[in-house]
Amino acid sequence: MNTTKTVNYEKLAAQLDSVKADVKSKLGEQDAKYIRRVIVCQRVFEWSGRILLMLGFIQPVLWLVGVLSLATAKILDNMEIGHNVMHGQYDWMNDKYINSKSYEWDIACDGASWNRVHNYEHHTYTNIIGKDRDFGYGLLRLSNDFRWRIKNLWQFVTYLLLSVLFQWGVSYHEMAAERVFFGKKKDDRDYKVPHSELKKRFFSKGARQLVKDYLLFPMLAGPLFLWVLTGNLAANLLRNLWTSTIIFCGHFTGEVETFNQQDCENESQGQWYYRQALGSSNIKGGNLFHVMTGHLSYQIEHHLFPDLPAKRYREIAPKVQAIFKEHGIHYNTGGFFRQYFSVVKRIVRYSFP
Amino acid sequence: MRALLNSLSKHLLHHQSWNGYWESVVQCFKPGWREGYFRAQVKHVQVFAEQSVELIIEPEKAWPVHQAGQHIALTIQTNGRLLTRVFTIASEPQLARQQRQIRLLIRSQEIGAFTSKLTNLRPGQWLNISEAKGQFVMPNTARSLIMLAGGSGITPFIAMLKSLPTYSKHTITLLYYAKPNSHWLKDELDQLKQSLSNFDYHLLERNKDGDATTWLTTNAHKHWLVCGPAALYKQAAALAKQLNTPIDSEHFSAVPAAVVTSDKHDLTLTHQGKTFTIDNQQTLLTHLQANKQPVTVGCGMGICHQCQCVKKQGIVRDIRTGELSDSSEQLIQLCISQPVSDVELSA
Repeated sequence: MNTTKTVNYEKLAAQLDSVKADVKSKLGEQDAKYIRRVIVCQRVFEWSGRILLMLGFIQPVLWLVGVLSLATAKILDNMEIGHNVMHGQYDWMNDKYINSKSYEWDIACDGASWNRVHNYEHHTYTNIIGKDRDFGYGLLRLSNDFRWRIKNLWQFVTYLLLSVLFQWGVSYHEMAAERVFFGKKKDDRDYKVPHSELKKRFFSKGARQLVKDYLLFPMLAGPLFLWVLTGNLAANLLRNLWTSTIIFCGHFTGEVETFNQQDCENESQGQWYYRQALGSSNIKGGNLFHVMTGHLSYQIEHHLFPDLPAKRYREIAPKVQAIFKEHGIHYNTGGFFRQYFSVVKRIVRYSFP
Repeated sequence: MRALLNSLSKHLLHHQSWNGYWESVVQCFKPGWREGYFRAQVKHVQVFAEQSVELIIEPEKAWPVHQAGQHIALTIQTNGRLLTRVFTIASEPQLARQQRQIRLLIRSQEIGAFTSKLTNLRPGQWLNISEAKGQFVMPNTARSLIMLAGGSGITPFIAMLKSLPTYSKHTITLLYYAKPNSHWLKDELDQLKQSLSNFDYHLLERNKDGDATTWLTTNAHKHWLVCGPAALYKQAAALAKQLNTPIDSEHFSAVPAAVVTSDKHDLTLTHQGKTFTIDNQQTLLTHLQANKQPVTVGCGMGICHQCQCVKKQGIVRDIRTGELSDSSEQLIQLCISQPVSDVELSA
């Protein structure tokens, strides 16, 4: 951890804890209504999208609207609903379905697997090299913590491919870390789930997604098989590109820092907050943009308080920013294009030794 | 059809049930609609001096009418949170059949936070109920009956008595124990005494009238029905065994007493059907690990929700904020939950 700066960790922790407590005490009716409303929108977008795809033969524009509508539904499901509900942000509602234990999302990745890698590894050990495999996803070299290899030369292409196939990347992530199919087993990994189970879940969830979007719904459309198939393909592609881009902008902008394992041993709550602060970046935008990113445009707030209902990040962001300023901590934020350019620069920069 | 839709929903929509998938949408048209529950509309809420709240609700048509003596789980949404408690229906099935109404009588102190929320209910509001459950109903016997009620344990007896036809020849004696000035429904008991030829009741107070031993021993040839706190039931059950008297009972442990103290004391923890003795000093996760129970462990600081499980009952304290949980079913994170009462976790 960066020791040159002298941050009063205790004070930082106390201030951020109080921001959290303040929001927690306000949670209620409003938040429950909000998430239910988003779910209703998701259902409407999904089914109108699926129907419009079949009307493409009347007027191709309808097909296009259908693609956008279905992509919107998938993005809402994955980001504002799935990601956030699976983080436990709405567990306090005590709802049978809207909780982190029972929610499963419309994506190739098995929810439980994602929960282990993302909620546990990534959110606990954010940007600690060797612990948080989300840093570069084991595919990209994004800092000097990793030795340069030849394959890094074309890592921008790897990045583009990852974005296109993002849902499969997320799905395969845990198995890659566990070396289920390829590579040397690592001794220091704590194997929580038997590999047979990982394989079963990977193939079963993946297959169901493929059957649904590329076989069943196209077949239901009969002669319009290809219209629906390409529509679903396009919607999945749009979702993949969007989620990948937002997530890269939240984690791999130029100024995002990394940490090593020794520095983070016996870390205090304040130091943990500090690490979260330096490990993420925000994207500025309007409210609709924030909803479509699942409020991951508030990545800093999300990393500080992963289980607060995400819509609340909007109101706490100014407070967090003020606290950071007081402690001299950089609050990394910027418009979408600025942040995206910064990501691209970083990927290209570390392509070279 | 239902099974087909559910299986489609499970495999393709990744939702445990088809109806559940549409729940939020249906709620736009039918407020309070919830999969797996029945809807009921609030008709009337009244707070009585005897520390009780009377709630009259109208269940939807699909709700199967109860048998006198049975209970339901009542679920209300309060400030976005769903809370569930179990109550015995304090009205006769005839009322439910003819006017589609059921009555609940709820003791205000006993359930603390829940009651204040009940009094906020307004007529017209929707809530959820389960189907009626329970085996504690009028026994099929030729013997005379002794009904022994303690406190709010009067409710099933009221339902049973009101369900009897006026020509009923059953000889019934009700012994009703309660704290001074907190006997419920004295008017209704009076009316019942007039309408039923062989019914009589006695309002008793423990301090003044002593316990039920004398009453019970002199009525050993009758069939006993007991409903009340665990202590009352235990005494009656012991006597029944000794005297070889048939007994049916329903007993409840009052809401677990939450002792918020730093002093160490022992509690019990039930997990996957096994019961352990634990203390109130460590988190549930520590206790489960110490007892070599299979648990998923994550960050250990309440962030990752890996160790989350369903608490069936009991009160826990969040070690980060000191906040106490509700006593009914809830999702909790083991690593930050310290037991405050006896706790039961589901598998």
